Amino acid sequence: MSQATAGATQQSGQPARVPAAVELEGVGFCYPGNATAALEGVSLRVAKGERLGILGPNGGGKSTLLKLILGLERPDRGTVRVFGESPEVARQRGWVGYVPQRPQVELGMPLSVREVVRLGAGWRCAPWRGIPAGVAERAERALELCGATGFADRPIGSLSGGQFQRAMMARALSVEPRILALDEPMVGIDPAGQAVFGELLREIHARLGLTLLIVSHDLRAIVAGADRVACLSQRLHSHTGPAGLTPEVLAEVFSHDLVGLAGQMGPLHVHAHAASACGHVHGSGAGPAGGQAAGEVVLTVTAEKKGGGGGGGSGEGRGG
Amino acid sequence: MKTLEYLSDPTLRAMFLPGIVAGLITVVMCAVVSPLVVVKRLGFIGQGISHSAFGGVGLAAVLVAVGWMAAGGVAELLVIAVFSVGAALGMGWVGRRRETPEDTAIGLFLVGSMALGTVLVQAARAVAERGGRAADVRSWESILFGSVSTAGTGDVVVAGAVAGAVVLALWAGRRPLLFWATDEQTARAFGVPVGLVRGGLMVVLGLVVVTSMKVAGVVLASALLVLPGATALRLSSRLWSVVGWSLVVGAAGVLAGFVVAFEADWPVGPSIVLVQVVLFAGACGAGWVRAIGGRGASAATVRA
Repeated sequence: MSQATAGATQQSGQPARVPAAVELEGVGFCYPGNATAALEGVSLRVAKGERLGILGPNGGGKSTLLKLILGLERPDRGTVRVFGESPEVARQRGWVGYVPQRPQVELGMPLSVREVVRLGAGWRCAPWRGIPAGVAERAERALELCGATGFADRPIGSLSGGQFQRAMMARALSVEPRILALDEPMVGIDPAGQAVFGELLREIHARLGLTLLIVSHDLRAIVAGADRVACLSQRLHSHTGPAGLTPEVLAEVFSHDLVGLAGQMGPLHVHAHAASACGHVHGSGAGPAGGQAAGEVVLTVTAEKKGGGGGGGSGEGRGG
Repeated sequence: MKTLEYLSDPTLRAMFLPGIVAGLITVVMCAVVSPLVVVKRLGFIGQGISHSAFGGVGLAAVLVAVGWMAAGGVAELLVIAVFSVGAALGMGWVGRRRETPEDTAIGLFLVGSMALGTVLVQAARAVAERGGRAADVRSWESILFGSVSTAGTGDVVVAGAVAGAVVLALWAGRRPLLFWATDEQTARAFGVPVGLVRGGLMVVLGLVVVTSMKVAGVVLASALLVLPGATALRLSSRLWSVVGWSLVVGAAGVLAGFVVAFEADWPVGPSIVLVQVVLFAGACGAGWVRAIGGRGASAATVRA
C-alpha cells in the first residue's frame, strides 16, 4: 500500500521530495481535424515505483495519454513531465519501455524473438559492427526475466498471445527503462494466461522496482497489476468541475466490468478525483484509510447473491 | 538452342550481354528490398512510383524535343528519377493525413502522372515534328514493358551505381529499418527517427523502380519489387534466408527469362516477370506439399 499512500500524500498537498515518475498538469489534446478533444484538463501524478492502471472505454483517451507520456504526441495545453524532463528527453534516454498491442506489430516480419528483442537497444549500434556484447547480454537477461528464453529462436509471428506479450515486454526491458508502459496487455490472452501474466508483472515490478503504467479497457488487467487507477473516458473529461463526476457516471463507465469482478473478488471500492481524473481501486477490506478529500466520489460495488441474475452495483457519492 | 547460339556468336553476345548483366544487377537490387516491400505492404507504392515515372518520361521527352537534353543519356534518367522520387515522397506526404488515406494518395499520383506523361509525350512528338527533328521519343512499348535487350554499357554502369548505393544504404540502415518495419509506433517510442527511415525508404524505392523500368517498363517494374520477396517469404521465416531466397528467385528469373525470351522469341521484360510468377506458384506448391507431408508425419507419429 506504500505507493498508494505516497500518491495520497501528494494529493493532500504536501510537497514532493523527488520528481514524480510521470506528471501531467492540465493536459488537453485534440487530434487535428477532430471536433472533440481526446483529452481535456487531465492532471495526474505517478510516483516512482508506483503501479498505475489507466482505465476507460475504447476511445476514451487512454492510448492518447500513453502517446503523450511517450512523447509521440505533444499536448495542445498543459505539461507532461517524465522524471522532471520532457517526454522527448525521456524517450531519447530510454526511460520509458513501451509494450505495444499485438495488432500494431507486423507479424509477417521474418525475425526471431531474440532478433526483435535485440533491436530494442541494438538499433542505435553502428551498422558496420555486430550487436555489442553488452546489448546482447541485456537482451538475454530481459528474455530470461520475462520467461521468454524458451521460445527466443521462434519467429515473432508464431507466438501465442501470452508468449507475444512476454517477448514485447523483454524488448521493453532490454533498454533498462525506469517506466514500463503496457498497452492493453491482456488482449488476446486466455484467462489462465492472464493470471500467469499478472503474476509475472508483479514479479518484475518487485525485482526491478519499475514504475508501471497499464492501459486497458478491461478492469481485470488493471487489477492484476495496479495500485491505483486513473479513470479516463470522454464522458469524464467532458465535465471540467468536480460536480461532473457523479456516481452515476462512474457506475455507467465501470458497472459492467466491476460487477463481474466483484463476483470474483468481493466488494470493491472505487474512488476518483474529478479534478485530477485519477482514482483508486482497492480490494475487499482495503478501503481508504483516512476519509476522502474534497471532490471525491466513492462507488461501492458489491456482488449480489448467487442466482441474482448478474449482480448489481450501488453508488455512494460524497460531494465536496 | 538459340540461347547457346546467341551467346557463342561474338557479335550477338556483345549485343545481349550488357542487357543480361544490367538485368541481373537490377533484379538483385530489387530482391534485396523486396521482402520488406511485401511485409510492409508497399507493393502498391511500387506500382504508384513506377507509373509516376511515366510523368517523368513525358517531361524528359519534352526536354529532349525542345533540344535542351540529349535522348537516352544519364540526364534523361536523372529527370525521370527526380520525378519518381518526388512522387514517392509526395505520396507519403499527402497520405499521412486521415482525410486522404495512403492508397488514395498513391492512386492520385499514379493516374495523375500517367495522364501527365501521356499529354507530355504527345506534345513532345508534336514539338519535335514542328521543329523538323525526328521524334526522338521512345516507343510506347519500350516505356510500358521495358527494353533491356537494347541495354548498353552505359546502362550497366548506371544500374551498378544505383544498385551499389541502394544496397549500401539498406545495409547501413538495416537495424532502424527492421525495427520500423516490425512496429512503427514502438520504434518511435524507442527513439527511432521514423520520418527519416520512411523518407529514406521512399527514395530507395524511387531509385529501384526507375532503374527497373529499363528491364521491365512502367507496367512491370513493381513486379520485380514484389515477386522475389513474396516467393522467399513462402519458403522461410528467417531474415537472411529470406533475403537469400529472394536473390535466388530474382537471379533465376532474369537468367531463365532471357532463355525463354531467346527460345520463344518473346519480349525479355515480360518473360522475366512470367518466370518469377511461375517460381512464386512453385513456392506455394512446395508449401502445401510440406504442410500435407507434415500433417501425414504427425498422424503417423500419433498412430505409432
